[in-house]
Amino acid sequence: MTIPVLMGYIPLGMAFGLLLSQLLIPWYYAFFMSLFIFAGAGQFLALGLFASQATILEIGVATFLLNLRHTFYGLSMVSTFKNFSWKKHYMIFGLTDETFALLKTNDIADEHKENAYFIITALNQSYWILGSVIGAVLGNIVPFDYRGIEFSLTALFVVLSIDLYNKSKLHKPFLISLIIGLVGMLSFPSSKMLILSLSIAAIILILFKKVLEDGN
Amino acid sequence: METSYLIGAISLAAFVTYVTRIIPFLFFRKKEPSAIIKYIEWNMPVMIMVILVFYALKDVQWEVYPYGIAEIVGVLIATFVHVKFKNALLSIFLATFTYMILIQKVLV
Repeated sequence: MTIPVLMGYIPLGMAFGLLLSQLLIPWYYAFFMSLFIFAGAGQFLALGLFASQATILEIGVATFLLNLRHTFYGLSMVSTFKNFSWKKHYMIFGLTDETFALLKTNDIADEHKENAYFIITALNQSYWILGSVIGAVLGNIVPFDYRGIEFSLTALFVVLSIDLYNKSKLHKPFLISLIIGLVGMLSFPSSKMLILSLSIAAIILILFKKVLEDGN
Repeated sequence: METSYLIGAISLAAFVTYVTRIIPFLFFRKKEPSAIIKYIEWNMPVMIMVILVFYALKDVQWEVYPYGIAEIVGVLIATFVHVKFKNALLSIFLATFTYMILIQKVLV
């Protein structure tokens, strides 16, 4: 079941590692970043900020804003994790975009959820660490034109969107988010696009609950 | 790049990332989820993921050559291959491979 994430995280992790090696940062930083931060887009962002010599505070604020979407993920996992043991602390730490999508699209029976979710999170993080270390090492020893490999992130989001859409009961939230995303991409300031679009989506979802649930 | 800079930045990034993930568990710990929370649980994820697709494309320059053609083709390939074959590996690989060929060899 974690195979889609394996196939997403290994190339994506490699893309991250390759970028890191192009900035002449030693490979073991790829390992530590993937171990302690464990956030795909967030780690790419950090590399971009390293490259532009941003201050540590700027990196902290930007990472926080980018990853604020994880708060929405957590919100939808509170009741699921509620009765789990200590393992939930690791699961909360590891609630990435991809892990979240997997936990939301599976059909695991309630009594197996705790162990299954723990293993899913741990497997996902190992793929991510493995991919990023391979990429960082490869980038130093194999000369190759790696430009464009970061598109694997976009493709992964597309695939996860389709999977989540197929699982959802309502169709209107999907259509509305297409419109919000498109408008946001074309007209919102780049640095605030994510948080603005997500806030609008959440507000519309809550305010128009009756309309959205009607006639699907 | 200095070691102290990298370690400081990575530590802070790790901390704030964890904060974004722990917030809801600190504030909604004891309550039974209401109908509205459950409704958000079910419907917010797909909206987040769709918006992330557009977020990933936000720095494309649509007005100048090559007008985001590589990105559009890549997204279309990922979509059609995934709808048809439901195989994440195939969809991601074909889309990324085509994108790399396009930006490196075709749309130069």
